[in-house]
Amino acid sequence: MQQIIVYIILAAAIYFLAKKFIFKSKKKDSSCGSGCGKCE
Amino acid sequence: MDTPKSLKVALIGNPNTGKTSLFNQLTGLTQKVGNYPGVTVDKKQGACKLSNNRTAIITDLPGTYSINPTSVDESIVLTSLLNTADKDFPDVIVVVADVENLKRNLFLFSQVKDLEIPIVLAINMSDQMKKKGITIDVDTLKKELQTEVVLISARKSIGIDEVKNAIENCAEAANTHPLCSINHKIDGDYFKNLKEVSPNHTLYELWLMITQNNFPDSITKEEKIKLLEFTQDVSKVRRYQHKETIHRYQQINEILKRTYIVDRSKANDTRAKLDKVFTHRIFGYVIFFGVLILIFQSIFDWSTIPMDYIDAQFANLSEFVTKQMNTGVLRDLITDGIIPGVGGVIIFIPQIAILFLFVAILEETGYMSRIVFLMDKIMRRYGMSGKSVIPLISGTACAIPAVMATRTISGWKERLITILVTPFTTCSARLPVYAILISLVIPDKKLFGYFSLQGFTLLSLYALGFATAIISAFLLHKIVKVKRTSFFVAEMPNYKIPSIKNVAFDVVEKTKAFVFGAGKIILAISIILWFLASNGPESYKNAEKSVIENVANKNLSAEEIQDKIASLKLEKSYIGIMGKTIEPVIKPLGYDWKIGIALISSFAAREVFVGTLATIYSVESDDENVSTIKERMRAEVNSETGEKTFSLAVGMSLLIFYAFAMQCMGTLAVVKRETKTWKWPIAQLVGMGALAYIASFITFTIFS
Repeated sequence: MQQIIVYIILAAAIYFLAKKFIFKSKKKDSSCGSGCGKCE
Repeated sequence: MDTPKSLKVALIGNPNTGKTSLFNQLTGLTQKVGNYPGVTVDKKQGACKLSNNRTAIITDLPGTYSINPTSVDESIVLTSLLNTADKDFPDVIVVVADVENLKRNLFLFSQVKDLEIPIVLAINMSDQMKKKGITIDVDTLKKELQTEVVLISARKSIGIDEVKNAIENCAEAANTHPLCSINHKIDGDYFKNLKEVSPNHTLYELWLMITQNNFPDSITKEEKIKLLEFTQDVSKVRRYQHKETIHRYQQINEILKRTYIVDRSKANDTRAKLDKVFTHRIFGYVIFFGVLILIFQSIFDWSTIPMDYIDAQFANLSEFVTKQMNTGVLRDLITDGIIPGVGGVIIFIPQIAILFLFVAILEETGYMSRIVFLMDKIMRRYGMSGKSVIPLISGTACAIPAVMATRTISGWKERLITILVTPFTTCSARLPVYAILISLVIPDKKLFGYFSLQGFTLLSLYALGFATAIISAFLLHKIVKVKRTSFFVAEMPNYKIPSIKNVAFDVVEKTKAFVFGAGKIILAISIILWFLASNGPESYKNAEKSVIENVANKNLSAEEIQDKIASLKLEKSYIGIMGKTIEPVIKPLGYDWKIGIALISSFAAREVFVGTLATIYSVESDDENVSTIKERMRAEVNSETGEKTFSLAVGMSLLIFYAFAMQCMGTLAVVKRETKTWKWPIAQLVGMGALAYIASFITFTIFS
């Protein structure tokens, strides 16, 4: 059971980082200018 | 937020007029409020309740001296005012003016007024009028300007309801008379022909379109062709622009003569006296240096107790979880991965909060603008604009907004140089790395019986970052030729007692942004690191067996054998293999493969360095008595040399590496966005990386 929970947490961590640095979601408002680089 | 009844209101004003303070008062949002020139570079919106259940959507536009833009952020104002077809086009404009600089502020007002949009003039800092010996005849001013005029003090919440009423009255009256009729005084026929181009636009809108080469969507193709014909005679357009400026000031002077009186004999302010000292060519720098020493001393001295407390609490938490949970991988993940990783961020809250506290106080008091003024003289010598000081100083918080703050620099080459050198200034993400390394390798001694050596080292690193930025700018200035230098207009706001509310908001918001922004990344990386350090190929699984079967280990105690197993397991794990692969490259800098792993993971964000080491050493340690991060790092021994891993030479080498290396993916992304090409962020990454490598190698060699 512990093993399964650990794998779920691990997958969530990888998904989070991939979303943050590789597959950035595009923002609707290009004038936002938050500096996150997602508006490109 | 947007209801059918809602009014769209735009706040416009010169920098440092308190526009953002009024925005905060109207919307109740926790926006940044400070005296720092150019603080508002982005469009901010918020809702404000008016009477009769009516709502206003307030937009805080960037600070600008006129609607003839010289920089990217100023052009936002022009575009917002010309694009009548835009969904956010304002129903009412509130021009915020500073009571002390009303003449210059009314220049912008007169331009906006000529666009024939309903307008309110809010004269801010009216509570200072008596002190400054200023008297305003508000009724006459209203008549002369044909505008709602309100005296306010945004910081003291004076006149806010009056502004709300004025917005409503103004929207209902829809009074849109222009103030300066440019056509009569300059060239009647020329402006008559210009007006005939488009009946749907005001004369001043059309004039701005041709002078600023900014054509909104509401202009048809045919109209644009006709307008472009007016731009053919460039010298005529320029001549008329000059005439327009003179005409505006003449009219403003006439109005102020009748309505605005300054009697200096009645003034009792100490501003002039203080300015003489704070901007003095010798004392100014001495005081600035003294303030810096105070800040960096405090960062170390005040934070020791809370940091030790947080560190101990995380160690206790690990111990508690170890005792409460059954043995298993989930327990290992929590105690060896998550808790040390997150603890590595939380522990730095006191130091970061203290740094932000001082920066907020400097901004709030008005002293920051004096620093900008002082540093402008130095900047110019090294090929940067005076406005480059703003990104360089804001870079001490984070390079990402600092790079964006370069939008206030009008010259592209100056802006590019500033973008390229800004990441050298010491950002808050470097602070955790510096703090832990300094506390490990620099003795906790006092210089001259008072100054902390550790605090002095930290100050030196900040100075090194700033000096490198200036030297790099100088070199880039020589390589990249600057065609045009921009002029620097920095307003000297009045000295003020800092508002506790504003300072507290600033500290809480920035610290929160650091903890939650960096914390989530560190947590995710800690989990992955733990997995990579706790798993491995066949050699990892056989590590225990190979240690036990090794004849050389026969005489070791059970505890020593356990240590050997843990150490070999880490070495044979996936992360160990990765670290070992890059070890030959980093060995000349004095780093082992474990530090190598931290260097790789901290490329996402510098502060990940500490969390990574905390996770690696936690996984390696089999000690039942959970120790603090600092203790673990201090106890770490290099298996090859048998000496402490974090010796003075290694510590100094790492400090220098982090001072120069471009270890931040976020900054690279923003540089790409601002320069519209990958060329510059790649040049930055390679250039800064090479400098970091060479400088660290030299440092390690000297201290070894």
